[in-house]
Amino acid sequence: MSHILSMISSAFLPALLAIILIYGFVKKAPVYDLFIEGCREGLSSAANITPYIIAIFLAITLMTDSGALSALEKLVAPVFNILGLPQELLSFMIMRPVSGSGTLVLVEQLAENFGADSFVCRCASTMMGSSETLLYAIAVYFGVTSVKHLRHTVAVGIAGYIIGIWASFLLCKVM
Amino acid sequence: MNKIWAIMLAAGILSFGFSSLPGTAADGSVSFSDSLFTSCEEAVYFVIGLAGIMGLWSGFMNIAKGSGLIHSLSVKCRKIMSFLFPNIKDEDTLMLMLMGFMANIFGAGNSATVFSLQAMKKLDETNPRKEYASNEMCMFATVNMSMLQLVPVTVVDIRSRAGSAAPEDIILPSLIAGLLSTITSIAVCKICERRSAPP
Repeated sequence: MSHILSMISSAFLPALLAIILIYGFVKKAPVYDLFIEGCREGLSSAANITPYIIAIFLAITLMTDSGALSALEKLVAPVFNILGLPQELLSFMIMRPVSGSGTLVLVEQLAENFGADSFVCRCASTMMGSSETLLYAIAVYFGVTSVKHLRHTVAVGIAGYIIGIWASFLLCKVM
Repeated sequence: MNKIWAIMLAAGILSFGFSSLPGTAADGSVSFSDSLFTSCEEAVYFVIGLAGIMGLWSGFMNIAKGSGLIHSLSVKCRKIMSFLFPNIKDEDTLMLMLMGFMANIFGAGNSATVFSLQAMKKLDETNPRKEYASNEMCMFATVNMSMLQLVPVTVVDIRSRAGSAAPEDIILPSLIAGLLSTITSIAVCKICERRSAPP
């Protein structure tokens, strides 16, 4: 089953490109001119998001490099104990909403220290697959808009994240 | 965002201050200026990488639009999306959002970002109160962030390299967990919409 899933996944992009191109040909659309026109627009929006990307990368790198995240870990450790979540996953769960590459490094470390099929590593991998770099995504998504007040976005994002993490933990326990 | 960003920066700078005090065990071997420089450098590299793929997909979406492909799919697309976004009629916006979701599900990382960003831009253009995120923006962003991925390729890869007996075992639980997280996001978002209406 997983083979079928990964086949679909890897076929998605080429299939999409082919469909658009063939449809354009059939309808005799000026595909090249349309591509150039759209591409120009895309490049200008890439330039527009640069300040937001620099701002969020700066904040995230300062947090991780300075050890501020590890300080946060010590603060929330008691809460983890109450919830029954394994302490080994603490830094992983705090890192996850902030940095994608940072979490991958942590998963690698967990696999090395506890074994790839250990509960801790399975748990972390499941959490990795069912969540997203929240903070970064919010900054980038709203970076292209003129919105100043995010309203409930952050709260909903965190709620979804917590449920995803929690469900991963419980599922790994039973499966 | 103003508050979050300021707090993150302040926390980072303060912790750097503390860890450089004499007598404290400095766990970070990275210096402050290194950290500043690499983060800004990485950000620009990231944008440059994204710019190419952004140009590519914007170009192809423009072909799809110009050739009438989007228009011919718009009825189906509207059906799928009307549950989450009943108020959006513009077919380009709906299509971009749908593409963003699909690219996310199929794990097309940067391409997903591109579709999502273009969709957010479209949503911004029709947002009546520019200062406040519209209901649709909040919904789109949160659903997209909780979106599940069919095959979490990188993690499966890490596991198989680390010698796992069944690296793909995590796919099913992460699908279920992702689904639960998406449902939660939609539900909480619908509830919050009414409570946090912009003044």
